Amino acid sequence: MMRDLHALLTPRHALGPLEIRRENLAFVTLPASNLRGFLTELRDTQGFSHLVLLTAVDWLEEGQFQLTYMMNNRARDLTLGVRVMLDRTTAQMDSIHDLWPTAATYQRELKEMFGITFPGSPRLDEEFILEGWTDLPPYRRDFDSLAYSQQTYAERPGRVTHDPREYMKSKLYPGG
Amino acid sequence: MSLREVLTPFSVWKRVLDAPVSIADPFSREASEHYRGFHKNDMETCIGCGTCEAICQNGAIDMVPVEGQNTEKGDSGLRPMIDYGRCCWCALCVDICMTGSLTMSNEYTWVDSDPDAFRFIPGLNEPWKDKQAGYKRENGRVLSGTTRSPMGELHANERIDNFNEICVGYTREEAILEADRCVECGLCVATCPAHMSIPDYIAAVRDQDYDRGLQLLYETNPFSEVCGRICTHKCETSCAAVHEGDAIAIRWLKRHIVDNVPLERRVELIGAPKPATGKSVAIIGAGPGGLTAAYDLAREGVKVTVYEALPKPGGMMRYGIPEYRLPYDALDRDIAVIEAMGVTIKCATVVGVDVQMEDLRQSHDAVILAIGLQMGRGTRIPGSEGAGVERAVDLLRRITAGDPTVPVPETAVVIGGGNVAFDIARSMARLQKIKYGRVGLTLTALEDRAHFLADKEELVEGDEEGVLILDSRGPQEVMRDPSGQVTGLRTWAVTSIFDAEGRFAPAYDESDEQIHQGALVIEAIGQMADTSLLGDALTEKLEWNRGRIKIDSEMRTSEPWLFAAGDAVKGPDVINAVADGHRAARTVMEAIAQGEVVQ
Ligand SMILES: Cc1cc2nc3c(=O)[nH]c(=O)nc-3n(C[C@H](O)[C@H](O)[C@H](O)COP(=O)(O)OP(=O)(O)OC[C@H]3O[C@@H](n4cnc5c(N)ncnc54)[C@H](O)[C@@H]3O)c2cc1C
Ligand code: SF4
Ligand code: SF4
Ligand code: SF4
Repeated sequence: MMRDLHALLTPRHALGPLEIRRENLAFVTLPASNLRGFLTELRDTQGFSHLVLLTAVDWLEEGQFQLTYMMNNRARDLTLGVRVMLDRTTAQMDSIHDLWPTAATYQRELKEMFGITFPGSPRLDEEFILEGWTDLPPYRRDFDSLAYSQQTYAERPGRVTHDPREYMKSKLYPGG
Repeated sequence: MSLREVLTPFSVWKRVLDAPVSIADPFSREASEHYRGFHKNDMETCIGCGTCEAICQNGAIDMVPVEGQNTEKGDSGLRPMIDYGRCCWCALCVDICMTGSLTMSNEYTWVDSDPDAFRFIPGLNEPWKDKQAGYKRENGRVLSGTTRSPMGELHANERIDNFNEICVGYTREEAILEADRCVECGLCVATCPAHMSIPDYIAAVRDQDYDRGLQLLYETNPFSEVCGRICTHKCETSCAAVHEGDAIAIRWLKRHIVDNVPLERRVELIGAPKPATGKSVAIIGAGPGGLTAAYDLAREGVKVTVYEALPKPGGMMRYGIPEYRLPYDALDRDIAVIEAMGVTIKCATVVGVDVQMEDLRQSHDAVILAIGLQMGRGTRIPGSEGAGVERAVDLLRRITAGDPTVPVPETAVVIGGGNVAFDIARSMARLQKIKYGRVGLTLTALEDRAHFLADKEELVEGDEEGVLILDSRGPQEVMRDPSGQVTGLRTWAVTSIFDAEGRFAPAYDESDEQIHQGALVIEAIGQMADTSLLGDALTEKLEWNRGRIKIDSEMRTSEPWLFAAGDAVKGPDVINAVADGHRAARTVMEAIAQGEVVQ
């Protein structure tokens, strides 16, 4: 089923190879500029009417963000993960809030947590769960969580730690 | 406002007699089975590696000493203390824990008026200590890699008719994968006799900075190319990774660094020694003990002369360890760096024959004795005296020297189950294969297979190469024909090796007798030092300890001008000889500085 669908839609949308995970779950990657057309066709002619979720992965080393749109065909119990890769520095993608109103919420979250923007998406720049955040978006992998917590939260006085290697030296071979 | 809107709120009154859905006592409500509640730590399983501290993104963990937890091999004795003022119960620490000792209960209420109570050491006496429910790693999932990058090896039939090196070394990709598994806890450092900076040089592999890696190696070990191949690698037995997977291949990563830095670059990176001090030290023996001391002293600006009996330097690294485990050119490169520091090595010079101890004492500020154990021990069983019976170390030395008179009969028997026994058995097997096209070698050991003294790889590779390995066999007699030619070895089955007091006293089943055919019997049951170079007067003067020259912890003998290192006084391997060499050099430098040493 998935394979037929893939074969049918590949020429028009320049789909990448189909990665089958389970009988009813597969993933496919396509150029970002083809996404809206592909999702529209999936929804309107192939029964994938439900946007399960929209999420991102930061491929820091490759300089890319990956967006994954999980699309579900309820009648046939099929889920297709649709992926696009974005340039990490531009970090911009077409909004799909006009296709699925719920997408606006996902897009707002991605804006806040990854700094990926979706021009035209409603309330995109309003705070989502972070309040008064001024640092790098926290789900970007170059955000240093430890440094942030050390700068932001006070340490209880009196804390002392020991480096295992140095401590073992002091106990077992102090003379070196 | 319509009437309906006014009346609707009253409709809830119809529920007034239903059972309430809110919880009367929210404090004793049990959380779900996998809830991430308060931490637990199994104190006996935890090894104090501090990986939980390193991963915590809230800086909530300190590693602290805990009463009753001792610092010992592979366990720092420290335990995590968590600050619940910072913890967010993400459970990263539980997920990464190297032993699985750290888990969570599903307990989530804790009231106390003392804010410091919330900095606590899980595993001591918290009320939820024995609670079963709570977050644990799903399906035993382990975040750090558990499998070692395999080392490429020559196949048995590619290696049995030659002395080519068996292990091919890691590629960069393999080395990076392996280095990535190290959590940099440093537990292994205490176990390494030379306390090499293991986590730091592994990090250098990960960062692909071989220059830095090499400099780190030379801080503690001038025999890193050698040790990267044949070290007994006891450090790996203390590795934190061993609890949930394979130990990090510390030895192979060391080799990988040295293999990636050409000889000239090594000398460049180490830099020139300090200016000459005008002091001079004589070292007897160019094994790892003597040459390490020579390296250190030369770096300090001391003029060092090493006296070596054999034609080439290296000691047992050259004349004991076979070439298929340690190629001579690898050893030569390590020695070349030492010579580049200005060390003079006088080979083919036997102290006690060509030059006397007293001369060395007169002409140097100090003398270091690093003569190793050059003489093989004999079994003293009937028939073991005379032609056709050899000692392993003598034969290995002759094989290295290329002696054309090394006996290579079609069949031979080795007595012994340690590494030296395997070295001679596998060397002899190669010579037989080259000469006759087939291996005819039997190795007999007192121990049963599970308790062989040799490394496991030796058994595996010996089997692969066609050596017949017989366990639990005790040698009784070397068989000879009427003309006196050796024909084989007679053995009995061993029933036990030690007596009730733990003393060496093999017991046999005499009814289980076998004769193993062989025209040559090789004894590989241990080595001893040849201290005849000392001469009677010095032998008399020195203090001894059970047949060995007595030394203190700083490598001093009872004579103020004489120091000793290596197998002759301690042992048992190259890295211990290296560690001793460093210590001897340090003591000599201190003694020179204090003017203690008699001119
Ligand atoms: C067959 C064999 C295999 C081994 N395999 C391993 C291994 O895989 N890994 C490992 O870590 N260890 C191994 N060892 C042990 C290791 O080789 C020794 O622990 C180490 O070499 C000891 O170093 P050393 O400097 O004390 O003595 P040696 O290496 O024995 O060097 C002593 C030197 O002193 C010289 N000398 C002695 N008397 C005189 C004299 N009168 N005048 C001048 N020179 C003299 C000797 O010729 C020799 O060159 C092996 C040993 C043997 C015998
Ligand atoms: S649960 Fe998370 S925040 Fe708490 S100590 Fe562990 S790693 Fe740190
Ligand atoms: S990671 Fe695990 S084993 Fe290591 S110190 Fe922390 S609790 Fe102990
Ligand atoms: S090699 Fe093992 S013990 Fe040593 S620092 Fe790495 S993980 Fe820790």
